[in-house]
Amino acid sequence: MKDTIERWLGTLFGLIFIGLSLVVAVETVMRKVFNVSLQGADELGGYALAVGATIAFSMALLGRNHIRVDVLYSLFPEPLKTALNWLSALSIAAFAVLLAWLAWFVIQDTRAYQSVSQTPWATPLVYPQTAWLMGLLVFGAVAAIVSLYASFLFVTGRTDALNTLLHPRTTREELKEELEDLKVRSSHDRSEMNVKSGASS
Amino acid sequence: MSLTYIAIGFFAMLGMMLMGLPVATSMATVGIIGGMVAYGLPFIDSIAPVVWGVHNDNLLTSIPLFVLMGELLLRSGIADRMFGAMAAWFGRLPGGLLHANIGCSAIFAATSGSSVATAATVGTVALPSLQKRRYPMNLSLGSIAAGGTLGILIPPSVNLIVYGSLTDTSIGRLFVAGIVPGLLLTAAFMGFVIIYAVLTRSSIREEKLPWRERVRLLKDLVPPAVVFFIVMGSLYSGVATTTESAALGVVASLGFAWHSRKLSWALLQTCFVQTAKTSGMILLIITAAFILNLAVSLTGVAETMTQWVTSFGLSGTQMLLILMVFYLILGMFMDVLSMMVATIPITFPIVMALGIDPVWFGIFIVIMCELGLITPPVGMNLFVVQGIRRDGGSIADVILGAAPYVLILIGFAFLLIAFPSIVTWLPSQM
Repeated sequence: MKDTIERWLGTLFGLIFIGLSLVVAVETVMRKVFNVSLQGADELGGYALAVGATIAFSMALLGRNHIRVDVLYSLFPEPLKTALNWLSALSIAAFAVLLAWLAWFVIQDTRAYQSVSQTPWATPLVYPQTAWLMGLLVFGAVAAIVSLYASFLFVTGRTDALNTLLHPRTTREELKEELEDLKVRSSHDRSEMNVKSGASS
Repeated sequence: MSLTYIAIGFFAMLGMMLMGLPVATSMATVGIIGGMVAYGLPFIDSIAPVVWGVHNDNLLTSIPLFVLMGELLLRSGIADRMFGAMAAWFGRLPGGLLHANIGCSAIFAATSGSSVATAATVGTVALPSLQKRRYPMNLSLGSIAAGGTLGILIPPSVNLIVYGSLTDTSIGRLFVAGIVPGLLLTAAFMGFVIIYAVLTRSSIREEKLPWRERVRLLKDLVPPAVVFFIVMGSLYSGVATTTESAALGVVASLGFAWHSRKLSWALLQTCFVQTAKTSGMILLIITAAFILNLAVSLTGVAETMTQWVTSFGLSGTQMLLILMVFYLILGMFMDVLSMMVATIPITFPIVMALGIDPVWFGIFIVIMCELGLITPPVGMNLFVVQGIRRDGGSIADVILGAAPYVLILIGFAFLLIAFPSIVTWLPSQM
């Protein structure tokens, strides 16, 4: 389930930025070589980030990638670890909801002043900002669900489950993923590896 | 804001971070509470446009693009193959394959941006041959850990983008400024290996390969080199902005990945998911940092701190020496990106008031971050390198192996203080 969500969100995120790269690259080359500007590639980049960042926030949350310093954590007794994991989930949820609320503020202002972007396109800002708000609402919802579930585990005393689910991501975990990916990569690469070991012996 | 409040706020933030609360929310909490204490609820109103401004900043779009570029080069195996070429070209120097470790990590980390991925890849490729050929273990591990720190200095570097966006310093200039120190530091690391090998009369060096073989292996260096020159060339010549150069880099990497016949839908999805997670982590910290920055600038924290510091009559150099100690200690315990983001709102205005060049200070901070990656107890690269070895030795080997590089980095920071033009010369030619 989590993997499927991750893949879908990741694909959306990736296609946004691959698409953006192609447009921006074409624009840059055309501007330099043919002196023709498509205009608006900059603006598009800003909107891509606004939407992309919100997707990325949710994905980093699901992958426990939002950095927590674990130097002291690892030395703490279990109950304190549990409390910190729970508090961390709550703080991320509060921050996510705050961001969505702020986005709502921004849109209210945009609507009141009918703001458009200060570019040749003069895009009504309400469109990209609505997409941005949607993304932040998803982030808020994901973070709220995680923190509610954490609270449920906390209140019912299932601290082991809570700690397993939400402990800070360690370098070791990250390394393990990298090594697995590397194994897959190098199994495709066997022939070149042979050349290499032949070369160095 | 009085000094007492500032100290409480700063240490509360550090305390929350060290206790293990998320770095982003620790910064945001202190920023919001600080702003609310000074201005009440209207402070929240003033955050809203700042958050939109950050999330809509085309400059920051370069972060996911550079991360994606590195992921494509890494996952398609393009970066893995560089080791053979490096070994063939540098293996003859005294110290043999250790040079390949450093050189490979430098190029690799420059394009990939993830120290964990860099050290994992270089370590996995290099350690078996190093062990087979009986290279001293701590030397081998130290060179991989230290080599992996070079990537955040050699452009494109996410740390430099973050610094540039927080301090409003030109990222193009920061990138260009990173080139000369990056090369010098790489040379210094390699120089240490040569001197060590000569002094200990150890015979660690590799057999000479025929020229034909060496030239043939060069082809493995072509993709990373081309991507680097597209990104840096377009930036340096002024053809492209930072984000445009990143987009060109992504397209070129995509082309090389396709050419290597590794490009598949599954590979792309892995790259996308990893890029999203890394970018989400960085961008949330940046969002929080801008909220903190807003509180810092509205409440006049920077002025108070600057006045306080200048009241001691310190010179720029003295201040930098104090900051070196400060960052060295902080870097022992903290994740380096977080350390940078959390301290810049206060340290940047102070050093600016003392007349230090903003581009120079960016490079200085990144070197302090490099130190943080290899100083115990929490040097991420130390853990990663320890994690890839298979001989079951103690982490003390890695710490000892990396120790000479810690000294080199500190010495290099002194060198930059004495000769700031090492940093500022190349960007001044733009």
